[in-house]
Amino acid sequence: MAAIFNTERHVKYYLRCLKTFLPSAYTSNDSNRMLLAFFTLSGLDVLGVLHDKISPEERQGYIDWLYHCQVPSGGFRGFSGTDFGTEKRTTDNGAWDPANGPATFFALVNLLILGDDLSKVKRRECLEWLPKLQRADGSFGELLGPGGNIGGDRDLRYCMCAAGIRFMLRGSGGKGVEDIPDIDVPGFISFIEACQAYDGGMAESPFREPHSGHTYCAVGSLEFLRRGGADIHSVRMLTPGSRKFETLVAWLASRQTGELGDDDEEDDEDEDEDEDEDEADEDAQVDTELTSENATNSLEERIVALPALTALAGDESIPCAGFNGRYNKLADTCYSFWNGATLLMLDRYSVIDDVRNRRYLLEKVQHLVGGFGKAISSTSYFGMVSLAFQGEQGLARVDPLLVTTERVIQHLESLPWRS
Amino acid sequence: MAGKYESDPEWASVTPIPLDDGEESGAMPLASIAYPTEYLEATSYLRAVMAANEMSERALKLTQDVISMNAAHYTVWIYRAKILFALEKSLEDEVAWLNQVALKYLKNYQIWHHRQVLMSSRKHFPTLPPKEQDFLMDMFAQDSKNYHVWTYRHWLVRHFKLWDHPREIEDINHLLKADVRNNSAWSHRYMLRFGPRDDQLDAGMANAGDMSTTPGEKGVLAVVDEDMVDAELLFAQEAIVRAPENRSPWWFARGVLLASGRGLTEWEEFAEKFVDGDAVKSSHAIEWLADAYADGERDIQAAEMLNLLKEKYDPIRKNYWDYRMKMLDIPAH
Repeated sequence: MAAIFNTERHVKYYLRCLKTFLPSAYTSNDSNRMLLAFFTLSGLDVLGVLHDKISPEERQGYIDWLYHCQVPSGGFRGFSGTDFGTEKRTTDNGAWDPANGPATFFALVNLLILGDDLSKVKRRECLEWLPKLQRADGSFGELLGPGGNIGGDRDLRYCMCAAGIRFMLRGSGGKGVEDIPDIDVPGFISFIEACQAYDGGMAESPFREPHSGHTYCAVGSLEFLRRGGADIHSVRMLTPGSRKFETLVAWLASRQTGELGDDDEEDDEDEDEDEDEDEADEDAQVDTELTSENATNSLEERIVALPALTALAGDESIPCAGFNGRYNKLADTCYSFWNGATLLMLDRYSVIDDVRNRRYLLEKVQHLVGGFGKAISSTSYFGMVSLAFQGEQGLARVDPLLVTTERVIQHLESLPWRS
Repeated sequence: MAGKYESDPEWASVTPIPLDDGEESGAMPLASIAYPTEYLEATSYLRAVMAANEMSERALKLTQDVISMNAAHYTVWIYRAKILFALEKSLEDEVAWLNQVALKYLKNYQIWHHRQVLMSSRKHFPTLPPKEQDFLMDMFAQDSKNYHVWTYRHWLVRHFKLWDHPREIEDINHLLKADVRNNSAWSHRYMLRFGPRDDQLDAGMANAGDMSTTPGEKGVLAVVDEDMVDAELLFAQEAIVRAPENRSPWWFARGVLLASGRGLTEWEEFAEKFVDGDAVKSSHAIEWLADAYADGERDIQAAEMLNLLKEKYDPIRKNYWDYRMKMLDIPAH
C-alpha cells in the first residue's frame, strides 16, 4: 500500500488529460465537457503546477474556448456541439442551443481558475436568465426549453449550480445589477429544507432517498447563500444542537464504512458518475429469514436466538475505511469527497476517522492515475481533493464549496463588483 | 468515403453544420474528445435540423441515432419530445422503444426524465398504463436501488395518485423480502405511508414546506392513523430481527415515530432486548438507546451506550461517538 501521495505521477496524468484527446469512449460524455475541463484544470491547480506547466498563450487559448461556449443570450453551453452559429440563431431555434445551469457554473469556475477577470461574461444577461430557471416550489431546473419551459429533473445539483452562479456574478451587494430581480431566496431555502429525509440525510427532492451527492449540494446551496450575505440563521439544518443538524451529522458520519468492495473498474466517466457504486455484500450479520419453524416464534424468542456481535477491539481489525453514498452500499472514492466536503462546510469534519480515510484514498487514487490510457475522471479528482482536505503534502488547500484552491477564491474576491 | 447521411437521398436537401470547436478563431478546446466520424456526421445533421426547427420523421430517426452514441445529450431528448408531439406520434410506441433503451443504459437519467415528459401528457395517458409498474420491476431486477428509476416511480405515484394502489406496497414488500437492506425501497415505503397527498405540497417531511408551520412542528403529521403507524412499527421490528445490523429499518422506525409525534422511548424496551450485557446483537440498538437516554436526560446511561459503540462495536466512528459524548452533561472521568 502506498504510504505517500505521488505528486509527480498525478501531474503527468492531469497534463496528459489537458493536452491530448480523450478517447472516443468519452463521446457519451460530450455534453459534460465543461465539467471534464474543470476536473483537469482544477486538478493541475490543486497540484500547484497550473501556471508553470501551461504558457500564457495556452491559457489565453483555453479562456477563448470557454467564451466560445458562451450563449449569445447569456450563460454557457456545456459543449460546443449544440452551437449552430450565431448567424443562424433565432428566437425559435434558440431552445436547441440553450444556456445550461451546471455548464454555466463550471465555465465561470474554469475562467476563474485560469485567472480571467470575467469581463467578457454577459453578467447582466446571465443574472436575468437565472431566476427564470427557478420553479414555483423554489427548486431550479437545468435549462430553458421551448417556450421558456424549465427543463430537467428536480435535482439539487441544479440548485447548487444556480446558487453558485448567483454567488459569483451577483456578489453580496449586487453591485451594478441592483435592478435585476434576484432569485426567490426564501422559496429556495424552503425547498432545500424539505429535501431532508426522516433519517437526517438529504435527497434530490422531498421524500426521496437520501444520497451523499445531494446532501453535499443541499448544504453547498445554503453555504453559497450564506457567503453571498443571505440570512440563513433560521435554517434549523444548519443550527448546531437542533435535531435536524445533529441527525444530518449522524447521517454523514454513518456513511464511513470498512466495506470497500473491489471497485477496480475503469472509471468510464458515466455522466452519472456519482452512481458508480456497488451493492454492499450482505454483511457478516445473520439474515434470519423467516422459516416455517421460527415464524411461529414470538419476536422476543427470535431476538433471544440471535447471535451476539463480535466486539471489534483495537484499530488493526479495520485498516481502511472509505465512505458510501447511501445505506448498505460499498465505499467509493468520490464519497470521501461528497461526505467530507459537507462535513467541512458544517464545521464537523473532525467526526470522521481521517486516518483510515487517508489509507483508503491513497491506495485508490494512485491506482486511478496509474498507467497509460487512464483518462480524466471525477473519481481521481475527488480522491485527490479529499486528501487535500486532510492536508496531504504536495497539495494546495481546497475550498469545499467551490472545490478549487483558495487562490481561486481570492481571485474571485478581487473582481470589481465584489470589492 | 461518404457518411451515411451524406449519401442518403433523404438527407440530400440538408446542409450539415460542422462542429465549430473554436479552433479557427484561435481558441484551444478543453476536454477534446477523439470523436468517431459517425458521431461527428450525425451531430452535424442534428445541428442543421435543429437550426431549421424541423419537425419531421427523418429528424426523429436522427435523434435516435445521436442518442445511441450520446444518451446524455441534454437537448436531443427535448427536441425528440417536441417532434413526437408535433407529429402526433404514438407515445405507446415511444415508451416501448424507451424500455429497450433504459435497459441498455442503466445509469442514464435523461431517459427517465423523457419518460416522465411523455407520461405527463394527460391526453395520451389519462390513467396509469397497465404495464408501467411491471416494467419498473423489470428495471429493479437489474438494479433494485437505481436512483433514477426510484425518482420516476415517486413521480408516478404522485402523478397518478397511487399511494393506496395495491401494487405499490406489494412491490415494496416483494423487494424488501428479496433484500431487506434495500434502503430505496424503505424510503419509497415511507413516502407511500407518510408523504403528502393530493392538494398538499410535495414538500419534504410532513408540512415542511408550509411556511405557516413553526420549525418545531415540521415533520409531524396533524392527523395520524395510529393503526397504520403501529403496523409499520411492527413491520420494521420484523425486518430488524431478520438483519439486526441493517440501519434502514431502525431509522425508518425513527421516521415513523417522528411523523406520528411519538418519541424514541416507545422502543426503548425493544432496543434493550438487543443489548443484554456482553451479548450485544445490534449496534443500531445501542445507538437508539444512547439517543433515547439522552432525550430523557439520563446522560450517564447514554454515555455508557456511546462508550460501547466507541470501544467495541463501531470503532470507525470513534471520533463521532466522542463528539456525541461531549454533548452530554456528565462529569469528567
